Amino acid sequence: MSDSSVFDELPGDLMIWVLIVSELLVFGAGLAAFLSVRITDPAGFAAAQDALYRTGAGLNTVVLITSGALAAWALRLREDAQRGLARLALVGAALLGLVFLIVKSIEYAGKAGEGIAWDTHPFFTFYYLLTGFHAAHVLAGVVLLLLVAWQDTPRNIEAGAAFWHMVDLVWVLLFPVIYLLR
Amino acid sequence: MVMPRDPLLRAWVALIGLSLGSTTLTLWHWPPKFAALAGALILTLGWLKARVILSRYLGLAAAPFWRRGFELALAMFCLLLLGLYLLASAF
Repeated sequence: MSDSSVFDELPGDLMIWVLIVSELLVFGAGLAAFLSVRITDPAGFAAAQDALYRTGAGLNTVVLITSGALAAWALRLREDAQRGLARLALVGAALLGLVFLIVKSIEYAGKAGEGIAWDTHPFFTFYYLLTGFHAAHVLAGVVLLLLVAWQDTPRNIEAGAAFWHMVDLVWVLLFPVIYLLR
Repeated sequence: MVMPRDPLLRAWVALIGLSLGSTTLTLWHWPPKFAALAGALILTLGWLKARVILSRYLGLAAAPFWRRGFELALAMFCLLLLGLYLLASAF
Protein backbone atom coordinates (compact mmCIF):
# COMPACT_ATOMS: atom_id res chain seq x y z
CA MET A 1 0.00 0.00 0.00
CA SER A 2 1.37 3.43 -0.92
CA ASP A 3 1.98 6.07 1.78
CA SER A 4 1.57 8.94 -0.65
CA SER A 5 -1.50 11.15 -0.51
CA VAL A 6 -2.87 13.87 -2.78
CA PHE A 7 -1.42 16.40 -0.31
CA ASP A 8 2.08 15.31 -1.34
CA GLU A 9 1.28 16.54 -4.84
CA LEU A 10 0.81 20.14 -3.62
CA PRO A 11 3.83 22.38 -4.30
CA GLY A 12 5.18 23.66 -0.97
CA ASP A 13 3.83 23.34 2.56
CA LEU A 14 0.19 22.46 3.18
CA MET A 15 -0.09 25.34 5.69
CA ILE A 16 0.80 28.00 3.09
CA TRP A 17 -2.05 26.61 0.96
CA VAL A 18 -4.42 26.80 3.92
CA LEU A 19 -3.39 30.46 4.25
CA ILE A 20 -3.82 31.07 0.50
CA VAL A 21 -7.31 29.53 0.45
CA SER A 22 -8.33 31.51 3.58
CA GLU A 23 -7.18 34.78 2.04
CA LEU A 24 -8.89 34.00 -1.27
CA LEU A 25 -12.15 33.30 0.58
CA VAL A 26 -11.95 36.63 2.45
CA PHE A 27 -11.23 38.67 -0.68
CA GLY A 28 -13.74 36.61 -2.68
CA ALA A 29 -16.48 37.40 -0.14
CA GLY A 30 -15.53 41.09 -0.30
CA LEU A 31 -15.74 41.20 -4.10
CA ALA A 32 -19.07 39.34 -4.12
CA ALA A 33 -20.42 41.76 -1.49
CA PHE A 34 -19.20 44.72 -3.58
CA LEU A 35 -21.04 43.47 -6.70
CA SER A 36 -24.14 42.65 -4.63
CA VAL A 37 -24.36 46.19 -3.22
CA ARG A 38 -23.67 47.57 -6.72
CA ILE A 39 -27.00 46.03 -7.86
CA THR A 40 -28.80 48.61 -5.70
CA ASP A 41 -27.11 51.60 -7.39
CA PRO A 42 -25.23 50.74 -10.63
CA ALA A 43 -25.27 54.38 -11.86
CA GLY A 44 -23.88 55.69 -8.56
CA PHE A 45 -21.15 53.02 -8.57
CA ALA A 46 -20.21 53.89 -12.19
CA ALA A 47 -20.03 57.62 -11.35
CA ALA A 48 -17.87 56.91 -8.30
CA GLN A 49 -15.63 54.60 -10.31
CA ASP A 50 -14.91 57.45 -12.75
CA ALA A 51 -12.95 59.14 -9.94
CA LEU A 52 -10.46 56.26 -9.84
CA TYR A 53 -6.97 56.39 -11.27
CA ARG A 54 -7.30 53.52 -13.76
CA THR A 55 -3.96 54.11 -15.50
CA GLY A 56 -2.09 53.79 -12.20
CA ALA A 57 -4.00 50.63 -11.34
CA GLY A 58 -3.26 49.20 -14.81
CA LEU A 59 0.43 50.01 -14.32
CA ASN A 60 0.31 48.29 -10.95
CA THR A 61 -1.07 45.15 -12.63
CA VAL A 62 2.02 44.97 -14.86
CA VAL A 63 4.24 45.69 -11.83
CA LEU A 64 2.73 42.86 -9.74
CA ILE A 65 2.69 40.36 -12.62
CA THR A 66 6.38 41.06 -13.28
CA SER A 67 7.20 40.89 -9.59
CA GLY A 68 5.42 37.52 -9.37
CA ALA A 69 7.48 36.21 -12.29
CA LEU A 70 10.69 37.30 -10.52
CA ALA A 71 9.61 35.49 -7.33
CA ALA A 72 8.84 32.33 -9.32
CA TRP A 73 12.21 32.58 -11.09
CA ALA A 74 13.93 33.03 -7.72
CA LEU A 75 12.69 29.62 -6.56
CA ARG A 76 13.85 27.95 -9.74
CA LEU A 77 17.26 29.65 -9.54
CA ARG A 78 17.67 28.58 -5.90
CA GLU A 79 16.78 24.99 -6.78
CA ASP A 80 19.48 25.20 -9.47
CA ALA A 81 21.90 26.33 -6.71
CA GLN A 82 22.24 29.84 -8.16
CA ARG A 83 21.87 31.56 -4.78
CA GLY A 84 23.14 34.99 -5.81
CA LEU A 85 20.76 35.29 -8.76
CA ALA A 86 17.88 33.93 -6.68
CA ARG A 87 18.47 36.60 -4.03
CA LEU A 88 18.69 39.27 -6.72
CA ALA A 89 15.36 38.12 -8.18
CA LEU A 90 13.74 38.21 -4.72
CA VAL A 91 15.03 41.71 -4.01
CA GLY A 92 13.81 42.77 -7.48
CA ALA A 93 10.37 41.31 -6.69
CA ALA A 94 10.31 43.18 -3.36
CA LEU A 95 11.34 46.45 -5.03
CA LEU A 96 8.50 46.09 -7.53
CA GLY A 97 6.21 45.52 -4.55
CA LEU A 98 7.38 48.87 -3.21
CA VAL A 99 6.66 50.47 -6.60
CA PHE A 100 3.12 49.08 -6.31
CA LEU A 101 2.74 50.66 -2.87
CA ILE A 102 4.10 54.02 -4.07
CA VAL A 103 1.60 54.11 -6.97
CA LYS A 104 -1.17 53.10 -4.54
CA SER A 105 -0.14 55.87 -2.13
CA ILE A 106 -0.27 58.43 -4.95
CA GLU A 107 -3.76 57.14 -5.79
CA TYR A 108 -4.93 57.44 -2.16
CA ALA A 109 -3.39 60.91 -1.80
CA GLY A 110 -5.20 62.00 -4.96
CA LYS A 111 -8.51 60.74 -3.57
CA ALA A 112 -7.90 62.52 -0.26
CA GLY A 113 -7.06 65.73 -2.15
CA GLU A 114 -10.40 65.50 -3.96
CA GLY A 115 -12.17 65.13 -0.62
CA ILE A 116 -13.10 61.50 -1.30
CA ALA A 117 -13.20 59.39 1.85
CA TRP A 118 -14.45 55.91 2.76
CA ASP A 119 -17.92 57.29 3.60
CA THR A 120 -18.35 59.42 0.45
CA HIS A 121 -20.28 56.61 -1.26
CA PRO A 122 -20.67 52.84 -0.60
CA PHE A 123 -18.40 52.32 -3.64
CA PHE A 124 -15.53 54.01 -1.79
CA THR A 125 -16.21 52.04 1.40
CA PHE A 126 -15.52 48.84 -0.55
CA TYR A 127 -12.74 50.49 -2.56
CA TYR A 128 -10.76 51.50 0.55
CA LEU A 129 -11.55 48.28 2.40
CA LEU A 130 -10.55 45.91 -0.41
CA THR A 131 -7.64 47.82 -1.95
CA GLY A 132 -6.35 48.84 1.51
CA PHE A 133 -6.49 45.26 2.79
CA HIS A 134 -4.72 44.15 -0.38
CA ALA A 135 -2.06 46.86 0.00
CA ALA A 136 -1.45 45.63 3.57
CA HIS A 137 -0.80 42.18 2.10
CA VAL A 138 1.58 43.69 -0.46
CA LEU A 139 3.51 45.34 2.40
CA ALA A 140 3.62 42.02 4.31
CA GLY A 141 4.71 40.28 1.09
CA VAL A 142 7.58 42.75 0.55
CA VAL A 143 8.85 42.07 4.09
CA LEU A 144 8.45 38.32 3.52
CA LEU A 145 10.34 38.42 0.19
CA LEU A 146 13.23 40.26 1.84
CA LEU A 147 13.22 37.80 4.75
CA VAL A 148 13.42 34.77 2.44
CA ALA A 149 16.14 36.51 0.38
CA TRP A 150 18.12 36.58 3.64
CA GLN A 151 17.14 33.11 4.94
CA ASP A 152 17.22 31.63 1.47
CA THR A 153 16.51 27.91 1.83
CA PRO A 154 14.46 26.57 -1.09
CA ARG A 155 11.63 25.78 1.36
CA ASN A 156 11.56 29.37 2.66
CA ILE A 157 11.66 30.83 -0.84
CA GLU A 158 8.84 28.54 -1.96
CA ALA A 159 6.64 29.68 0.95
CA GLY A 160 7.46 33.38 0.46
CA ALA A 161 6.89 33.20 -3.29
CA ALA A 162 3.57 31.35 -2.79
CA PHE A 163 2.32 34.13 -0.50
CA TRP A 164 3.39 36.68 -3.10
CA HIS A 165 1.57 34.82 -5.88
CA MET A 166 -1.58 34.83 -3.72
CA VAL A 167 -1.29 38.64 -3.50
CA ASP A 168 -0.90 38.69 -7.30
CA LEU A 169 -3.88 36.37 -7.79
CA VAL A 170 -6.13 38.54 -5.62
CA TRP A 171 -5.12 41.66 -7.57
CA VAL A 172 -5.94 40.22 -11.02
CA LEU A 173 -9.49 39.57 -9.76
CA LEU A 174 -9.84 42.74 -7.69
CA PHE A 175 -8.58 45.09 -10.41
CA PRO A 176 -11.26 44.34 -13.05
CA VAL A 177 -14.11 44.23 -10.52
CA ILE A 178 -13.29 47.51 -8.74
CA TYR A 179 -11.64 49.55 -11.51
CA LEU A 180 -12.96 48.30 -14.85
CA LEU A 181 -16.48 46.85 -14.69
CA ARG A 182 -19.01 49.47 -15.78
CA MET B 1 3.83 35.93 -32.40
CA VAL B 2 6.48 33.45 -31.25
CA MET B 3 5.96 32.40 -27.63
CA PRO B 4 9.07 31.73 -25.53
CA ARG B 5 9.80 28.11 -24.51
CA ASP B 6 10.37 28.82 -20.82
CA PRO B 7 6.98 28.15 -19.15
CA LEU B 8 7.49 31.00 -16.66
CA LEU B 9 8.42 33.50 -19.35
CA ARG B 10 5.47 32.25 -21.41
CA ALA B 11 3.18 32.77 -18.42
CA TRP B 12 4.50 36.31 -17.91
CA VAL B 13 3.99 37.14 -21.62
CA ALA B 14 0.45 35.69 -21.47
CA LEU B 15 -0.36 37.75 -18.35
CA ILE B 16 0.93 40.96 -19.94
CA GLY B 17 -1.06 40.18 -23.10
CA LEU B 18 -4.25 39.52 -21.13
CA SER B 19 -3.72 42.76 -19.16
CA LEU B 20 -3.32 44.71 -22.39
CA GLY B 21 -6.52 43.04 -23.58
CA SER B 22 -8.38 44.30 -20.49
CA THR B 23 -7.02 47.81 -21.03
CA THR B 24 -8.08 47.80 -24.69
CA LEU B 25 -11.57 46.63 -23.76
CA THR B 26 -11.83 49.41 -21.18
CA LEU B 27 -10.64 52.17 -23.54
CA TRP B 28 -13.02 51.05 -26.28
CA HIS B 29 -16.18 53.19 -26.40
CA TRP B 30 -18.83 50.48 -26.22
CA PRO B 31 -22.39 51.35 -27.21
CA PRO B 32 -24.59 51.14 -24.07
CA LYS B 33 -26.34 47.99 -25.26
CA PHE B 34 -22.97 46.18 -25.46
CA ALA B 35 -21.64 47.45 -22.09
CA ALA B 36 -22.61 44.20 -20.35
CA LEU B 37 -20.75 42.21 -23.00
CA ALA B 38 -17.64 44.33 -22.41
CA GLY B 39 -17.92 43.68 -18.67
CA ALA B 40 -18.29 39.94 -19.25
CA LEU B 41 -15.17 39.96 -21.48
CA ILE B 42 -13.18 41.92 -18.87
CA LEU B 43 -14.18 39.39 -16.19
CA THR B 44 -13.25 36.53 -18.51
CA LEU B 45 -9.76 38.00 -19.02
CA GLY B 46 -9.37 38.34 -15.22
CA TRP B 47 -10.37 34.67 -14.85
CA LEU B 48 -7.80 33.63 -17.48
CA LYS B 49 -5.08 35.64 -15.68
CA ALA B 50 -5.95 33.94 -12.38
CA ARG B 51 -5.71 30.52 -14.08
CA VAL B 52 -2.23 31.31 -15.40
CA ILE B 53 -1.05 32.43 -11.93
CA LEU B 54 -2.44 29.28 -10.28
CA SER B 55 -0.99 27.00 -12.88
CA ARG B 56 2.44 28.53 -13.57
CA TYR B 57 3.39 30.91 -10.76
CA LEU B 58 1.95 28.77 -7.94
CA GLY B 59 3.07 25.59 -9.68
CA LEU B 60 -0.27 23.75 -9.82
CA ALA B 61 0.55 22.68 -13.40
CA ALA B 62 2.58 19.93 -11.72
CA ALA B 63 -0.34 18.93 -9.45
CA PRO B 64 -3.26 18.02 -11.75
CA PHE B 65 -5.64 17.00 -8.95
CA TRP B 66 -5.27 20.33 -7.16
CA ARG B 67 -5.23 22.34 -10.36
CA ARG B 68 -8.59 20.85 -11.36
CA GLY B 69 -10.02 21.63 -7.91
CA PHE B 70 -8.74 25.20 -7.80
CA GLU B 71 -9.81 25.87 -11.39
CA LEU B 72 -13.30 24.54 -10.71
CA ALA B 73 -13.65 26.74 -7.59
CA LEU B 74 -12.24 29.73 -9.47
CA ALA B 75 -14.60 29.19 -12.42
CA MET B 76 -17.61 28.98 -10.07
CA PHE B 77 -16.52 32.13 -8.24
CA CYS B 78 -16.07 34.04 -11.53
CA LEU B 79 -19.51 32.84 -12.66
CA LEU B 80 -20.93 34.22 -9.40
CA LEU B 81 -19.24 37.58 -10.06
CA LEU B 82 -20.52 37.56 -13.64
CA GLY B 83 -24.06 36.78 -12.45
CA LEU B 84 -24.00 39.63 -9.91
CA TYR B 85 -22.57 42.00 -12.51
CA LEU B 86 -25.20 41.09 -15.11
CA LEU B 87 -27.96 41.33 -12.50
CA ALA B 88 -27.08 45.01 -11.98
CA SER B 89 -27.18 45.56 -15.77
CA ALA B 90 -30.64 43.99 -15.92
CA PHE B 91 -32.16 46.62 -13.60
